[in-house]
Amino acid sequence: MKGDRKYIVLFLFPAAAIMTIFLYYPFFKSLYLSFYRTSGFFDKKFVGWANYERLVTDKLLGAATLHTLEIMLYVIVFQVGIALVLAVLVDNIAKFKGFYRTVFFFPVVISGTAISLLFVLFYNYNFGLLNNLLANFNIEKILWLDAKNALKAVSIPTVWHYVGFYFILFLTAMAKIPADYYEAAKLEGITGIKKTTMLTIPLIMSDIKVVITLAITGTLKIFEFIWVITSGQNGTEVLGTYMYKKAMVDQNFGYGSAVAIYMVVFGVVLALIANRLLKRDEITY
Amino acid sequence: MKRTSMLLMSVMLLLSMFLAACGNSGSTNTPAAEGETPKTETPPAEENAPVSLRVFSTFGGTDAAREAFQAALDEFTAAHPNVKIENDTMSANDDGFRTKVNTDMNSGNEPDLLFYFIGADAEGFVNAGKVVPLNEILDANADWKNGFIPDALELAKQKDGNIYAAPLTGFYEGLFVNKKIFEENGLELPTDWAKLTTAVKTLSAKGIIPLSVPFDQSHYLIEHTILSAAGPESQSKGLIDGIDPNWEKAYAAMKELYDLGAFPKDAATIDLSMSGNYYSEGLAAMTIEGSWAVGGWSDDTRDNSTVLPFPTVPDGAGSGNDIVGGFGSGFYLSKSTYDDAAKKDTAVELLKHLTSPATIQKIASANGGTPAADVEVTGLAQVALDGFAMAAKADSISAPVDSKVSQETFGNLRASVQPVVEGKKTPTQAIEEAKKTEDANKK
Repeated sequence: MKGDRKYIVLFLFPAAAIMTIFLYYPFFKSLYLSFYRTSGFFDKKFVGWANYERLVTDKLLGAATLHTLEIMLYVIVFQVGIALVLAVLVDNIAKFKGFYRTVFFFPVVISGTAISLLFVLFYNYNFGLLNNLLANFNIEKILWLDAKNALKAVSIPTVWHYVGFYFILFLTAMAKIPADYYEAAKLEGITGIKKTTMLTIPLIMSDIKVVITLAITGTLKIFEFIWVITSGQNGTEVLGTYMYKKAMVDQNFGYGSAVAIYMVVFGVVLALIANRLLKRDEITY
Repeated sequence: MKRTSMLLMSVMLLLSMFLAACGNSGSTNTPAAEGETPKTETPPAEENAPVSLRVFSTFGGTDAAREAFQAALDEFTAAHPNVKIENDTMSANDDGFRTKVNTDMNSGNEPDLLFYFIGADAEGFVNAGKVVPLNEILDANADWKNGFIPDALELAKQKDGNIYAAPLTGFYEGLFVNKKIFEENGLELPTDWAKLTTAVKTLSAKGIIPLSVPFDQSHYLIEHTILSAAGPESQSKGLIDGIDPNWEKAYAAMKELYDLGAFPKDAATIDLSMSGNYYSEGLAAMTIEGSWAVGGWSDDTRDNSTVLPFPTVPDGAGSGNDIVGGFGSGFYLSKSTYDDAAKKDTAVELLKHLTSPATIQKIASANGGTPAADVEVTGLAQVALDGFAMAAKADSISAPVDSKVSQETFGNLRASVQPVVEGKKTPTQAIEEAKKTEDANKK
């Protein structure tokens, strides 16, 4: 053991160094900057808590938080829900398992920006695909991205993009369940939906918990879909785009950093709440 | 085996010490004295020593002058085989470009030559001494200096009166009009507000988009309405000394246009390229753009377009013949390159080459900008010639209002467009909020 220590340190070092440079350093730098009023890159002045006072009174930030929460709801219900349904279905078929696994996982590999550009062309009012279809049926064009629909419209690609990822997580979790459980269930005459709800889902509950936590923290990072499809207009501003606008477009890095810190705190709090709500005994088999 | 690697290590160590020493001598306060010593000792080596330069510009991607610019670089490397140029580009359409430049300048990763905006945008790195004033180099090279139109150099000055950027081509912005659509609908060209509103009413009733602009990337709409509402003098003062009540009229005018149905139905969510697309495809009769956009339009639209100054908004202080334009960008020479004896002369040569009348002529022919040298630009579309004529006849040419207020203030003005036109905010509130941001920024 003693001789191993050298190697342990040696092997941990690269990961620790990378984490420090790309994660901890920027985080603490943001914390530091959030106490400054910056204007451009060359000018900054200590302002104490002023940026945090602004956070509390900022109506746009409040709206962005609500929009993020709304998307989070869609993500938990639909992204996780659809992934679970698909996983159950694929787990129960004998043939083409690999094929479906690839097909459903595919969107995850495509860049979010590319998907967003695709959806820009779906939703566009004047020559979008959807309105062209409607025009073929002589139905009046619809403004897909108006103030009422915009948030739902951008949630669709957001949800669709990552379904495959959670689908794979669920599928691997299901593959871990020992076959004798199912054999016993079969002898007891439990099949179909009952088997899924009484056996499969309870047995992968800990994975579902992980997935929900991932979904919650993942939603806080949503950026490219909103940025490309609506650039935060019509009630679609989320925390990620708001932070970017403040820091990069307005070049107010101080306030942008304060928003970033708020996002971190908000995310940790949400994850803790989710963990508390989903608390259950771990199942071992 | 071990010995060779040790040897290699020590050689590398030695070399890196050399490099460090060179770097130090470059940044000491007496660059001239130290820089000259190697030059006098080995003049031929200096001539042929490989030099690699990084040129950062916006001449990439879909830029109309991309090929002309690359050709200019190739010309230089052909004449100086020892020079290697890295042509580093990024689109100017996005704010990410500003971030990239500022991060580079701030983190010691300056490009040798930088093509960037002149004015408030550059203030940060200019004041931090990251680029060298070109005045002396210009005076020492009369040929080069005389190549420029004096006005272009005058407009390239920073606040402190020094020239840091060598201009290449200038720009103008204006109200671009598709004459064919106007003719087909029996409309007069929108030379004043009444004609503009009549045109808007008629066109929107017929289902043609009257004025294609986005709300979020509403830079040009804001620039023109504020200029015509406040007049050139008040526009150039910005917001720092107080609010000129005329500024509000810009937002009132936008609301009036919106109520008449002037903007695309999806103006809230489209970006600048999509709104340009509507104009290019003939779906829209007018757009507010800059000279650089002309090259990107479909041939049909380009041939039918002309450009007018944006008419004075109701009760505005502008004359109706004020335009937005100028020499908004140019080539900067970074301080670290200038202090580096190995690069200095080559970089200055390249700078001279890139802003020589011949290169300016080629770039201007490609992007339709106003040349900074007295050269004949050929092969331009009629609309570009209309633009030059408009700029020549204008009562005043002002830099856009985003260079008169802070970035965040302009962001605030942009964010107010949609709420104001939809009646969720009054024009007064919009300007007052912007003023608050401006004050907070200048604290």
